Amino acid sequence: MRAQTRQIAIERTTLVVILVLYMIPVLWLVSTAYKPPREIFSSPPTFTFSPTLFNFERIFQLFDVWQLLKSSLVMSLGTTVLSLLLGVPAGYALARSKSRYAIVVAYFFLAIRTVPIIATLIPFYLMMRDIGLLGSWWAVILINTTLNCAFVTWMMFSYFRALPRDMEEAALTDGCTLWGAFYRVALPTVVPGIIASALFCIMFSWNDFLTPMFLTNSDTKPLSVALLASFGTKDITWGTLGALAHFSTIPIVLMALFLNRYFVQGLTKGVH
Amino acid sequence: MATTSVGSIDFPQSKASGLRFADRRKLFLVALALPAVIYVVLVALWPLAQGIWYSFFDYNLLRGGGRRTFVGLANYAELWTDSTARRALVNTFIFTFAAVTIEFVFGLCLALLLWREGRFNRICLAFLLIPVTITPVVVGLIFRALLAVDYGFFGYYLAEWGISGPRGFLASTTAAMPVVILIDVWEWTPLVALILLAGLKSLPGDILEAASADGATAVQRFRLVVLPLLLPTVFLALVLRVMDAFRVFDTIFVTTGGGPGDTTNSLMVYGVKQGLQFFNIGFASAIGNVMILCIVVLCAAFTLLIRRADVRANER
Repeated sequence: MRAQTRQIAIERTTLVVILVLYMIPVLWLVSTAYKPPREIFSSPPTFTFSPTLFNFERIFQLFDVWQLLKSSLVMSLGTTVLSLLLGVPAGYALARSKSRYAIVVAYFFLAIRTVPIIATLIPFYLMMRDIGLLGSWWAVILINTTLNCAFVTWMMFSYFRALPRDMEEAALTDGCTLWGAFYRVALPTVVPGIIASALFCIMFSWNDFLTPMFLTNSDTKPLSVALLASFGTKDITWGTLGALAHFSTIPIVLMALFLNRYFVQGLTKGVH
Repeated sequence: MATTSVGSIDFPQSKASGLRFADRRKLFLVALALPAVIYVVLVALWPLAQGIWYSFFDYNLLRGGGRRTFVGLANYAELWTDSTARRALVNTFIFTFAAVTIEFVFGLCLALLLWREGRFNRICLAFLLIPVTITPVVVGLIFRALLAVDYGFFGYYLAEWGISGPRGFLASTTAAMPVVILIDVWEWTPLVALILLAGLKSLPGDILEAASADGATAVQRFRLVVLPLLLPTVFLALVLRVMDAFRVFDTIFVTTGGGPGDTTNSLMVYGVKQGLQFFNIGFASAIGNVMILCIVVLCAAFTLLIRRADVRANER
């Protein structure tokens, strides 16, 4: 028993050390935002400073922060809603189908997820240019929905497949409609799967950088693009960047921490 | 295929509706799946097909009024003759191999450390997963700032103590690649750990107990019992990471932009530059298609490897 307690103590100490080392970059990012500009650029770096909100005031002068937030939010929610609307029914259908092609279609969705975006982005860019959607939120939502809806389909496929059919069959014998068996019987039992899917769609599209960089313009660009585009102009310091990064990282980090159970479920179940 | 078995169990049909009900049900399921299939075909497969078509043309929006001239496989040949492209191809493989190997080793250690059930480990895991959720652009910017030679948390001392040279690791032709690999390792090791941990937790407890009752040491238990059973999960984690690492873009683009020179240029970074900055559509499409081809080959190779490992495990 003694040996075991000691082993647990060793394990935990190791974990804490790893965790602390691991968090340095994150803590640095957070702390920079509260540093006065002079101390950020002090050489050698200083480790103590008097916290200030100067950088936050500054980003509201330099950026239209609300517009950036709105862009990020519209694009990630749009992608998420569209992906769920398309992917959840498809996942159910593939899990319940008795056809041997169902598994082929399911793997097709999985394969779509592995396509490097550059292969579709260039033709998609030209397509959007031709139909006049270039620079709009729609362009980003449309292309991101392909990957995300493929992801949701595969994830919900695995959730529905693990669900016994008995309840649906019983409901059908009792005179429930096919839609009712899906919507009222099966769907409520996979709510955790839907939450996990939604969480991942929001995260993927909120953090996405490559597609909005080329598909949006200065009025519709999201936070991730603004972060880099603004970099290099002389008004932007690491402090203002850190402050702006607060807005782009904190919502997702908090979501992942509070909905950790679903997040972990999604990572272990849906990502493959 | 084992996975289809659940999907093909026959359930007693309600007798009242008979055959017509089965048909109606089929139609219903098709109707549910169709919107997603049509969407993906239109918005993913159609551009993909166009990309293959474009790759056979000399097609540049900024040159010759965007006219297309058929050039056959010249764009693909250029991938090998153009030294920048060849470097990007080699870099992508080096990056993928190094990053995934390190992530796997660290991830496995981390998973073993977190194996024990308990609140402490759950909380540790939740915090370790933070890098996975941070915007990759921000990850790149964080490391760029940390490594800045004049005021960076690490960069200043690395330069001061003569470890990194006066211009810092990210501007060094030898160190830039290891650094971008390290950034990827920081970002994705927790994900590998999490997947492996899920695999560890699903191992049958009685086998592990039997092994330790037989007096097997921890190392023996791991090598002879845990590892063979964990193999499918290992395979999964590796495939997942290889596919993602092969497509690396954000962190490299933000930290080095592919430089200095071409030393950290990856296929994705080069393809994006060619296609969406220089509008060299034909060549960029060829790069994209070669990436798809590489990913397919890598996946196939992994599948073969795991089959062989499986056979060997069964023979033992």
